[in-house]
Amino acid sequence: MNPRNSCPGITRRSFLADTGMGFTGLALGALLYRDGQLQADALPESEDQKWTPPTGLPQTTPRARAVIWIFLCGGVSHLESFDIKPALNQYAGKSIAETPFASVLNTEHKNVLGGNPGHGNRKTLMPLQTGFRRYGESGLIVGDWFRNIGECADDLAVVRSLWTIHNDHGAQLTWQTGRHPRELEHPTLGGWACYGLGSMNENLPEYVVLGAPTGDCCGGTFTYGASYLGPEHGGVRLNTDPKNPLPFIRPPANSITTEEQTANLGLLGRLNRMAGIDYPDDLQLRARIRSYELAFQMQTSIPETLELDREPEHIRRLYGLDQAGTKSFGEQCLVARRLVERGVRFVQIFHGGGGGGAWDAHSDIKKNHTSLSDQVDVPVAALLKDLKQRGLLDNTLVVFGTEFGRSPGAEGSGRDHHPQGFSAWLAGGGIRGGVQHGATDELGFHAVENRHYVTDIHATVLHQLGLDSRRLEIPGRKRLEQDHGSVIHGILA
Amino acid sequence: MICRTPILVSWIGWLRFLLAVDLLAVPISRTEATPANKAALEHHFDRFLVRKLARCTTCHLPSEVKNPKELVEFPHNPFGDRLRQIGEETRQSGRPFDLDGRLNRIASEDADGDGVDNRTELLLGHNPGERDDIPGPAERTAAAGRLAAFEQFLTGYRWRPFDPVRRPPVPAVRPAPGGFERRNPIDDFLATEWMQRGLNPRPVAPREVLLRRVYLDLIGLNPDPEEQAAFLADDSPTAWEKVVDRLLEDPRHGERWARHWMDVWRYSDWAGWTDGNQVRDSKPHIWRWRDWIVESLNADVPYDRMVTEMLAADELAPEDPNALRATGFLVRNYKMLSREQWLEDTIKHTAQAFMGITAGCAKCHDHMYDPVSQREYYSLRAIFEPHQVRTDRIPGQVEVARDGLVRAYDNTNAPTWFFVRGDERNPLTNEVISAGVPAALGGKLEVDEVILPSSAHHPDDREFVRDDLLAASAKAIAAAQAAAAEPASATNSTPEKGIEAALQLDLLEKKHRVLSEQILRERSRGAVATSDLKVDNAATNLVLLQRTVSVAETLLRLHQTRVAVGADPTKASADARKKLEDATRSHTEAVVALAAPLNGQFQARTRETFPARSTGRRLAFAKWLTAPQNPLTARVAVNQMWLRHFGRGLVPSAADFGRNGRPPSHPQLLDWLAAELMAPDPSTSSDSRGTANPVATITHGNWRMKHLHRLMVTSAAYRLASTPSEDSRTADPDNVFLWRMSSRRLEAESVRDNLLKVAGNLDSTRGGPEIDHQLALTSTRRSLYLRHAAEKQAEFLQIFDGPSVTECYERHPSVMPQQALALANSELALRQARLLARRLQASFEEDPARAITEAFRSVLARRPTAGELRECHSFLEAQFQPVARETGSPNRALENLALVLLNHSDFVTVR
Repeated sequence: MNPRNSCPGITRRSFLADTGMGFTGLALGALLYRDGQLQADALPESEDQKWTPPTGLPQTTPRARAVIWIFLCGGVSHLESFDIKPALNQYAGKSIAETPFASVLNTEHKNVLGGNPGHGNRKTLMPLQTGFRRYGESGLIVGDWFRNIGECADDLAVVRSLWTIHNDHGAQLTWQTGRHPRELEHPTLGGWACYGLGSMNENLPEYVVLGAPTGDCCGGTFTYGASYLGPEHGGVRLNTDPKNPLPFIRPPANSITTEEQTANLGLLGRLNRMAGIDYPDDLQLRARIRSYELAFQMQTSIPETLELDREPEHIRRLYGLDQAGTKSFGEQCLVARRLVERGVRFVQIFHGGGGGGAWDAHSDIKKNHTSLSDQVDVPVAALLKDLKQRGLLDNTLVVFGTEFGRSPGAEGSGRDHHPQGFSAWLAGGGIRGGVQHGATDELGFHAVENRHYVTDIHATVLHQLGLDSRRLEIPGRKRLEQDHGSVIHGILA
Repeated sequence: MICRTPILVSWIGWLRFLLAVDLLAVPISRTEATPANKAALEHHFDRFLVRKLARCTTCHLPSEVKNPKELVEFPHNPFGDRLRQIGEETRQSGRPFDLDGRLNRIASEDADGDGVDNRTELLLGHNPGERDDIPGPAERTAAAGRLAAFEQFLTGYRWRPFDPVRRPPVPAVRPAPGGFERRNPIDDFLATEWMQRGLNPRPVAPREVLLRRVYLDLIGLNPDPEEQAAFLADDSPTAWEKVVDRLLEDPRHGERWARHWMDVWRYSDWAGWTDGNQVRDSKPHIWRWRDWIVESLNADVPYDRMVTEMLAADELAPEDPNALRATGFLVRNYKMLSREQWLEDTIKHTAQAFMGITAGCAKCHDHMYDPVSQREYYSLRAIFEPHQVRTDRIPGQVEVARDGLVRAYDNTNAPTWFFVRGDERNPLTNEVISAGVPAALGGKLEVDEVILPSSAHHPDDREFVRDDLLAASAKAIAAAQAAAAEPASATNSTPEKGIEAALQLDLLEKKHRVLSEQILRERSRGAVATSDLKVDNAATNLVLLQRTVSVAETLLRLHQTRVAVGADPTKASADARKKLEDATRSHTEAVVALAAPLNGQFQARTRETFPARSTGRRLAFAKWLTAPQNPLTARVAVNQMWLRHFGRGLVPSAADFGRNGRPPSHPQLLDWLAAELMAPDPSTSSDSRGTANPVATITHGNWRMKHLHRLMVTSAAYRLASTPSEDSRTADPDNVFLWRMSSRRLEAESVRDNLLKVAGNLDSTRGGPEIDHQLALTSTRRSLYLRHAAEKQAEFLQIFDGPSVTECYERHPSVMPQQALALANSELALRQARLLARRLQASFEEDPARAITEAFRSVLARRPTAGELRECHSFLEAQFQPVARETGSPNRALENLALVLLNHSDFVTVR
């Protein structure tokens, strides 16, 4: 099924066509030319081509077909993870002005933020709170908090020159949509990817959310929503507990037969489409029709996907399922792999969600980051290794990000928010491994070399999926230049 | 990405003004040459005023006196002098201070005689009172554009959420587009925008759609088929108003809107462990606050009164237990684990719920967007610092753990300190911060200490408490007697237990006599102030009674210890022997004490006592908050109401009216509605536009919410169809300008309530203790009565985007397969489908088409179309035979049809 067209030209007839003509007859047309045809010819590129809704085909040759989008809530220290700054040890306790790098505060880039950055204005340098070393042939330097991920250095492309526009945890929403949190709801990257390409299967949602998402303070449900692209392209939250993957996953015993369910679904689909004729632009209705068809399939597909007991012991161990500290996040990473294997397009994993976010180490960053990195380091490394050994890493793009970095200056025993420069990494899906792209200054204060706003990551992901966000744009929905971002060509294979 | 809005610039102006007031001690003379003039200048020119001219020297000559006190020391320049002259004139004519008017009047004059008029000079950044400061020729060429922009700015409506509300005039609209028939001022404001933007309003929605829309909106439930028929048959011009008035008087209206306000006011039942033995968040019995909300809304208690009671009923009406329930608003923030978090939540959410400002941000630093300094945050904190929560007894229940009135009161003298960077480990203890409010919001906190009546500080001295204690004691005796009298009861199964029961009974009886004597003395204390011998005798008697209680108590314990130790103490452990020794000694001592001389020093009844005074800070805050001069309170309230009637706030960020929020789509309308809430215009209280409405009984008076509800839902805009039209949709895809009604998904509670309602299974009982959330699928009460707390929420409701316990200023409905599963597979939905099918059976046997129509009218509140009828008919035919054979239930096909309709998109959608 190809229910898109949230656009002008919607007519009563197109509504019927778009939402399929009934359960049994739907989806064939759309599904046939999706999966397995990712190498389809690129559409002709012309500047002024007339806008048409996405066909579900990639617009350019894709390098990835699925994305695992890992997001660490609260702001991970770039300085002690993937952008190690030994100068902080050398000048610990000194003010920035007392170091040879006093000029870092005076770059032309210092005013990326709106308002007065009360956060992140710490000037007395704090030494690194963890050790670090080089990994792999690329010699990537990684903090000891992420030593297992460090082992995968030659698969990673670290972008060390990110910046964002909000100095509080609303930046979590910015990471997902590219917009200032004040602007509330906008489509997330996952929403765009799914809108552009649609589903690769009819049994599972195209966009799945695992873990506890960002709290209401900082974007809440908007951080995995699709906004005006329609809720059918928004993320669907799943628990990883196979005993209770989804409430009401099956009807009570002996209450209703599968035949009855099928007949009911058929009638429901026909009635909903009839009632929707007067509301051809109702994206909620479109999504609801799709959600019923999906839910019917999910009654069997979801429990099956979550049966992690079926994984061999060495795989379970690899993801840390045998350790209390890593079990929860390990399960999410393993489920992510199984979802991708089964044709889910976009898996978004939150770690430390709720409130401002667990990584928000205003005090005792050593304790905070040690304990949290212990939860994610092993599972994320396992995910990379496992995808690789299955050959899935070639067409699965893994992104590891956070809303901002943490200040080089001390805030007591912690570090403050730091949107002026921070890091993320990408791996797989046609990304060149062992790359360090861009740089912050010597103290990790400002991104100075090959600076990238967060939507450059979005543009890169879409590009690898074979999409160009400019060609996805919907008439009447003004997108800013900044929303589109620019592909980071330096990290592509 | 960062939009420099006019609001931003005007705020910088305001802040500068505030700083000036604070720090510079600028001279105040008898004339109004005060910083207020400078502020008014900035206010007038807003973003058009260059920094250089936002100074005293725009109107004054540079002073040579360091701290000028009088105007003579700081004389005006020609521009300022002219302003002063006109000011004198207006004052003499009795008109109020109005710098705007004066600046406009002399705009085209040339005060300094340099050949360029005042306004042009000001706009170009040159001093209008300084002859040598002249714009160059190039600047003058560019002046026209700037003048035009400024004039447009002057005539346009200015959204100033931090200025007091002024009622804007209702725009005069020429015939509105598309034959739109205006019905009240709301329509005029909306139509103005349509015309300016070339939008065409949709026609009026079909009557079935309208009726269901307003039912769901005002009472949260579908109309019955009979109510649908009555409305469709009523062709009088006031049919709609009649329905609206009836629904607003329906007690279910209070339930529906209570749930909305419970979102905004963060209702939460208690959370914690082991049946309330460890309460971590909120408090047991807080449901009384929920009932207060429902009742107050139904009684149309003015909003300002409601806000005041929630913040300070204990200071406003300390003897009114009904009003005290309102302080659940404060109780809700109780946090066992952290008083800091408790106060932080209280401040943050009080500011957001009532004022739409994120004052909580200022805990650690001055607010980055809005005029709330960190210091002001702590003065807000000082308002709440003294308050605590407690549970008072209610008539008929002496155990407050079982039931009671949970409420706020002032208890502590804890000082408020400024926390450096918001860190409570780093307080500045050299200065106690006093209670206050953000200066930029105007007004002042006028705190008067409240002397409380004795019933408030000695609640256990209330007569009903005494009666209840005596009754409870007598009841315990009766129960013990009954148990002792029963030969083979658990208490009598062994001789030891028999003795224990007898000792227990004896103790209870003795305690009862003590209690009776104590209460007798309390009651007669006023009457027998003259100490006579009889009183002393009574006191002596009471002492003796209390000693016999000790004897009985120790004897009971001794007996219990002996039984526990066993027949042969030598075989018991050392620990047990020690216990036995202790119990024996205690008993001996009690017996010896019996014989000691009687001294009249009896123990009074244990009674809780609380401070006799309350700081009055919260009451003062509530008064400030609800004063008509407060710029935010009414605006935020009407916006919350609008959001729920129209699906989108006029200010889209309902809990943030600050610079980090989003500007309103219709600032005039919002201001007009805010003014209307505080003081309704006589012309709006009856329909002045011709369609006389004899039914409407408008409650006159301020802050009445039903008046606003009525205005909104009787507007023509509310009645528009929600179907799209191509042209308007292209121009305004989000329907920001309300050219149609927005389709919406029902809130979680309404989905569940309607499931029960359409099957005729909804229990209409109102109020009372919360219902276990785990009963959500089997209880038939309305959803607002289900327990809602951290880790205690009905899953069914959460799937439909039920409110977050932490905060929920606005619902964000999603569409998820989980919702499909909940409606298709849950026992709740399946049972309602069965019940509904049973009701349809009779019609079905007569004529299947009739059953289908009935089912549509019950579930979707509309008749089926011919096509729908056909589809359902063939579904029943196909299903009836084979399924019936399998299950033996003739009803099975009807059940499936009912289930399909309960899953119909229209069931969860408001069109």
